[in-house]
Amino acid sequence: MGNTLLVMLTYVAYVFIVVMYGKKVYRFASLPPHLRWDLYPVMHEPKYKYGGSYYEHPQWWAKHRPRSVVRSFFWVLKDTFYLGEYFHKNRGYWFWLLPWHLGFILIITLHILCFLAAVAMVLGLSVAAGSSDLAGRIFYYFILLSGICSFVLGAFGSIGMLVKRVSNRDLREFASPMNYFSYLFTLVVFLSGLYAWYYVDPTFSEYREFWTGVITFSPKGVQGGSVVHIVLFDLFLLYLPLTRSMHYISRFFAFFWVYWDDAPNVKGSETEKKIQALLDQPVSWSAPHIQSGKKWTDLASGMPTTD
Amino acid sequence: MRNGTGINDISKECDQLAKITKEGLMKLPYPYDQGEMEPKVKLLSDQEKGLFETSLDGVSAILIPKPKNKAEEDELCRKFLSGFRKLLTKENNWTFLQPLMHSLDYCGKCLSCSDECPVYISSGRQDIYRPSYRSELLRRIKGRYIDGTGGFSSWFQGNGVELNWATIARLAELAYRCTLCRRCTQVCSRGIDNGLITHEIRKIFSQEMGIAPKELHTKGTVQQLRTGSSTGMTPAALGNIVEFIQDEIREKTGMNIAVPVDKEGADVLLIHNAGEYIAWPENPAAFAIILEAAGIDWTLSSDLLGYDGVNYGVWYDDVQFSRVAVKHAQIAKKLKVNRIVVGECGHAHKALITVADRILTGDLNIPRESCLPLLEDIVLNGKLKLDPERNDFLVTLHDPCNMVRLMGIVEPQRRILRKICPQFREMTPHGVKNYCCGGGSGFAIMTSKSFASWRSTISGRMKLKQTLDVFQHESAPEIKKYVCAPCSNCKGQIRELFNDYKLWETCGVLYGGLVELIVNAMVDIKQPFIEWEWH
Repeated sequence: MGNTLLVMLTYVAYVFIVVMYGKKVYRFASLPPHLRWDLYPVMHEPKYKYGGSYYEHPQWWAKHRPRSVVRSFFWVLKDTFYLGEYFHKNRGYWFWLLPWHLGFILIITLHILCFLAAVAMVLGLSVAAGSSDLAGRIFYYFILLSGICSFVLGAFGSIGMLVKRVSNRDLREFASPMNYFSYLFTLVVFLSGLYAWYYVDPTFSEYREFWTGVITFSPKGVQGGSVVHIVLFDLFLLYLPLTRSMHYISRFFAFFWVYWDDAPNVKGSETEKKIQALLDQPVSWSAPHIQSGKKWTDLASGMPTTD
Repeated sequence: MRNGTGINDISKECDQLAKITKEGLMKLPYPYDQGEMEPKVKLLSDQEKGLFETSLDGVSAILIPKPKNKAEEDELCRKFLSGFRKLLTKENNWTFLQPLMHSLDYCGKCLSCSDECPVYISSGRQDIYRPSYRSELLRRIKGRYIDGTGGFSSWFQGNGVELNWATIARLAELAYRCTLCRRCTQVCSRGIDNGLITHEIRKIFSQEMGIAPKELHTKGTVQQLRTGSSTGMTPAALGNIVEFIQDEIREKTGMNIAVPVDKEGADVLLIHNAGEYIAWPENPAAFAIILEAAGIDWTLSSDLLGYDGVNYGVWYDDVQFSRVAVKHAQIAKKLKVNRIVVGECGHAHKALITVADRILTGDLNIPRESCLPLLEDIVLNGKLKLDPERNDFLVTLHDPCNMVRLMGIVEPQRRILRKICPQFREMTPHGVKNYCCGGGSGFAIMTSKSFASWRSTISGRMKLKQTLDVFQHESAPEIKKYVCAPCSNCKGQIRELFNDYKLWETCGVLYGGLVELIVNAMVDIKQPFIEWEWH
């Protein structure tokens, strides 16, 4: 019964986080196009090193505008693992933030690997240090490495972030009880993982077995220490969508869809059609110089009736 | 916090939330390092304090009259919330909703942005001037009063701020303590834009409550839409000014140039900030000399708004912004020009070329570009005979935020200066990492009560420091120095800043545009074009 409940909770947690994140992404992506709000350097520009743009060319509209989306993507990706601006501008914060972040990234990596390994195991692959299959050995060592690094770095970072936030008056002023709860919660999750690995499941074999149970709908028994970690991690997944954690994803949107969105509006383009539809909407602002109820188009081509 | 001003303190009843003193400000280098040469920080008189809201920092940028009674206070609070709700709807704020939602939802509250803000640093790190202070305040108001989370949830998320008149009045003033330079956004790993949030707060006050600095609204966009220019200059007055400029060119250079006005079918419609015609007519004169000498087919417009490229709406009101931008495009369409070229005005660049890009649809989508690449093409491709030795004095470059950080026009102006100014040197930092002149987002033209003093002593302080630093080994007044600022608003701010600190008398630092330096280097002009006298 307990094992079944554990698997059920895992299902619920994963479905919940996927649905909630999906909903957030959809809501953000479906917001209307906005006015240009560029911020340089724009990483897909050939002149990104000094922050130059296509506006540096006379009659820029008549010239080819090369762009490297791959470079932009890898810049954001690299920054996700390195947090470069913090390193350069706020080293004391970065020192704790980076391990905390890496703890998150690696614990997600651990679970993705466990899921994939479980699928492979169901299909007949042996995942172990002495497996005759190279893939089995790769799974084994990568799971081991990501798990241990995640728990150690995450716990270290959680403590550091908590201490940093509490000990700095400025940071404390901007913090909410939720921030402290998050640090403590993540600390407990990482410490429980560390405990489970060290005392209960040093090769993560039990955890891989648990995952084969999850994907085959046949719950497998795990020991107490692992149960605690699994429950805490599932609760953590349920908690995450209620926090600002989607910044891992939303920062891509901020850079690609706002600051680096330098695509000029072209006559007859899809963007222009979307904009035209928005301009045909009525506006309800109440200031005296705006005629509430008129369409954007009419307001823009009109004059203020009063000051 | 350092000065003990917490975010929730904003709603507290007290005379003044933050005290500004000369002693607390960021130290300046020689010869201002002892403090005696600094101008006084002017604050409002007690009588003025009784009339207007000054309880943020003793300064009033927008002169909000105090509400007469509780009912009026409550009504203002209601209107603020009504405006805030509209700000979060697609219909009313499609223009910036997506970036706004991101910046409201995902701040990590790490405060890395604080040290990037010249206002915060210059003020001696006053907590209220942190870029994230007003953003966090808005988030807390949203959490408690818009999203409606009460009780435990509100406490858990830290939404403890009280919405009352003090909060609203101080927030309105706070929205005018940020120059929207967006330097803070550059360092945010999550892409949070405090400048954008400030911009959006200004919109709530203007678009819903009708509260905006009179220099931006009544005497700004409204006057521009009605009379043709925020300076009050009418189309008829432009004719007189053009005649004056032609006379000046003849007198100074011996050249007979007929400045083309309303020439239909010209290749280029040149739009200046009309402030140039009044305060620095040598700038449009220099443009005329260069374009004529380079054989460009160009024209000015005498149509209503056609001779004033400013668009103050870009700082505080999307509707006013759209109205001005559409008028500019309609004028170009009427003249049947191939392209609009914006003169040396940073915010006019950003407003018309970039931000208006998705307002100007169909036939109004006329190609628009900066004057800087055009000037670079003229200077570097030998279309003028130039002698750099004529500019053999110390020159540094101020980067207008709107052209550089917010449009990526970084190198053309530098390549020109490297070619024509042998003693050109860079400020630190420069390019897209530059510091604002302190007059951005409308500050340069805002003069109400003590605001001008605040602007010189605080928001412009970092630019003053940069200028002193770049010339630190040649500070003697007899050594000629030139700060090239290819932006009208920046020049307006630099003029007031240098004037308040007597920088011309003390250190011999003059300021001016880029085109003046180009004409000064022209071999065909016998007398120096730049006059070394303060103006």
